[in-house]
Amino acid sequence: MKLEVKNITKSFGETNVLKGISFSVESGKALGLLGRNGAGKTTTIRILMDVFHANSGEITLDGKPFEPRKVQIGYLPEERGLYPKRKVLEQMIYLAMLRGVSRKTAATNAKRWLERLEVSQYQDRLLETLSKGNQQKVQLASTLVCDPEIVILDEPFSGLDPVNSQILQDVVQELIRDGKIVIFSSHQMSYVEEFCEDIVIINHGEVVLSGHLDTIKRDFGKDQLVLSAIDMSPEEFSNQIRSRLTDIVQITGQTKEDVIVRLNEGVNRRELLAKLSQLEDIAIEHFETYKPSLNDIFVASAGE
Amino acid sequence: MKRFFTIYEFELKSYLKNKSFTITTILLVVLLFAATFLPRVFDMSDMLGIEKTSTESGDNKDTSDEAKTDDADKTKIGIVDETGILGDMSVLKQAFEDTDIVTMKTEKELKKAVKSKDVSAGFDVKDDLNYEYYVVNRDMYDENQMIFEGILSQVHQQLYCEKKGLDYATFAAEYDAPVNCTEKILGKDAGDNYWYCYVLVMVIFMMIILYGVMVATSVTVEKSNRSIEVLVTSVDAKYLLFGKVFAGASAAIVQLGLILASALIGYNINHTYWGDKLDMILKIPGSVLAAFAIFGIGGFLFYAFLYGAMGALVSKTEDINKSAGTLQMLIMVVYFIVIFQLSTPDSVVMKVCSFLPFSSYSAMFVRIGMGSVTMAEIVVSAVILFVSTFAAGWLAAKIYRMGTLRYGNPIKLTTALKSLKNN
Repeated sequence: MKLEVKNITKSFGETNVLKGISFSVESGKALGLLGRNGAGKTTTIRILMDVFHANSGEITLDGKPFEPRKVQIGYLPEERGLYPKRKVLEQMIYLAMLRGVSRKTAATNAKRWLERLEVSQYQDRLLETLSKGNQQKVQLASTLVCDPEIVILDEPFSGLDPVNSQILQDVVQELIRDGKIVIFSSHQMSYVEEFCEDIVIINHGEVVLSGHLDTIKRDFGKDQLVLSAIDMSPEEFSNQIRSRLTDIVQITGQTKEDVIVRLNEGVNRRELLAKLSQLEDIAIEHFETYKPSLNDIFVASAGE
Repeated sequence: MKRFFTIYEFELKSYLKNKSFTITTILLVVLLFAATFLPRVFDMSDMLGIEKTSTESGDNKDTSDEAKTDDADKTKIGIVDETGILGDMSVLKQAFEDTDIVTMKTEKELKKAVKSKDVSAGFDVKDDLNYEYYVVNRDMYDENQMIFEGILSQVHQQLYCEKKGLDYATFAAEYDAPVNCTEKILGKDAGDNYWYCYVLVMVIFMMIILYGVMVATSVTVEKSNRSIEVLVTSVDAKYLLFGKVFAGASAAIVQLGLILASALIGYNINHTYWGDKLDMILKIPGSVLAAFAIFGIGGFLFYAFLYGAMGALVSKTEDINKSAGTLQMLIMVVYFIVIFQLSTPDSVVMKVCSFLPFSSYSAMFVRIGMGSVTMAEIVVSAVILFVSTFAAGWLAAKIYRMGTLRYGNPIKLTTALKSLKNN
């Protein structure tokens, strides 16, 4: 299966929230939808789920118009919510049946997911009697109870402690292995890096960066190097670079210990190394290719 | 359709499993059923205005103590009859049963006795056509004057006959000659049907107000607990709203049905002990019950859908009254119109109301019970009501869907309708 979002736009009144969002994702892959607060991630997801209608654009599944209620979708909305005064198992069966699953299969699936998420002991308890973390797990189990082909998770890690986050990570990995399409939005870049092959960064309703994560990282790190000098703080070293090496490199960033530089056009790293070796008062300690984290890429793409 | 029944079942269970709903139902059923047995256990003949049903022959034996107490409890009336037209007061004693007649000489003495409450009231007879009545606080249902005037009128007639040399007995026989009438009601007797129509109009009004709010609450709760987003992305909003409203209607019918049944069954068992006094409320003809069921259910569903829409306009249950205020006002207005027009079921107002979907549920039902209405009119009114109910359901589902993610301040109905138009 291939889900494609093509150039969707959406406005609320005079505000243009989405200005032509496009991306695609295939079975067995996860797509990370990234962006700052208010960038348009949740609106994109809600248009996918037909909660809102797009003003223009198209969503297709294997080339045909996408109708969310005709495909099994597990949807975990940003606004979590179940029935606090109903029993856990009872409402999971209900939600699965609403998606057309038979009562028997719904019961089997519900028990299986409660077991998998380590909350099966609460199946006959009222939801409101569970801790917030366990309620989150029940919500996730309810998302998956219909045995979905497409899983859409809006901020799935928010509110989870590290142990529960790990369980969720494992579950998402399993879904990917089982050939599901997984789309999720998150602010936590480490989780996205963990299992997303593709990412889409949205800023002010526009896609500012998208593609295969490894390729993005490689392209982003291209011609950039990490440098440090013995007995010199990154600030001092930066000043030295600015005053003596501007014809070769430009500083693009700084970490606690290193300085990140980009080679000027037409300059290669051999030339930089030669130049550095000529500076007798600077002893180079660290010289390597810059490998950006997703966080670095996100800040560079979505930061103001 | 399968999903509609899934929603219906889930929602109905939430009503039936609700402790306050179950406890209220059981409590009312038991209390009403028990209440119908009261005349078997306690002597309520005075209250009901019927003869004692007791079969024990010894019951009418008064002990001397009881007789004494009765004497002490007797009310007293003071009389000043300076002209002596009331004679030995025997007519007066006959008319004022269980009352002591205390004769006084002067008006002053009478006033003093009334003021000091030695007597409960007093009459100062001037002549056979004039008297003065003395009482400290006049009761709303004070019948003393009416009885006394009857006596004076009789005295006046006697004096007149004496004066004219007529035989009073012959005169009285002619004057009060009984008129015989055999009633042949070809249509409906409004007198007979009035009370159960009144009760049923009140029942349907209560049902709409109480259960309508329950339906609105069940919609709002899904917004306040944020489950609505999962629901509307899983199933068509129409199924959700129709499932909810039909579940609410079923819960209402089950609860009301059980309560009414307990009262009717209990009364049927005990009606002789009640002296058939509640027949006017509880012996409802089948045809009236059928009309009540059809128009009552139609009207309830019509308003339940509108209540559902009102519930979708707010995201906190405490805001329901704000959004449903206008609707409640409309229901109240309909109720008062129908109640005030109950004695004139064929008036123009009732005729108009019996065809409007907002009011036909009770106006047409009253016309069926008490007025003249043709079968064609009933069918037309029922069709209008059920088509409007379906339209209300469709509109409510649209509003419900539109209001899905609009949290925060209540949405105005006009804003909601504009949004629907723009979409």
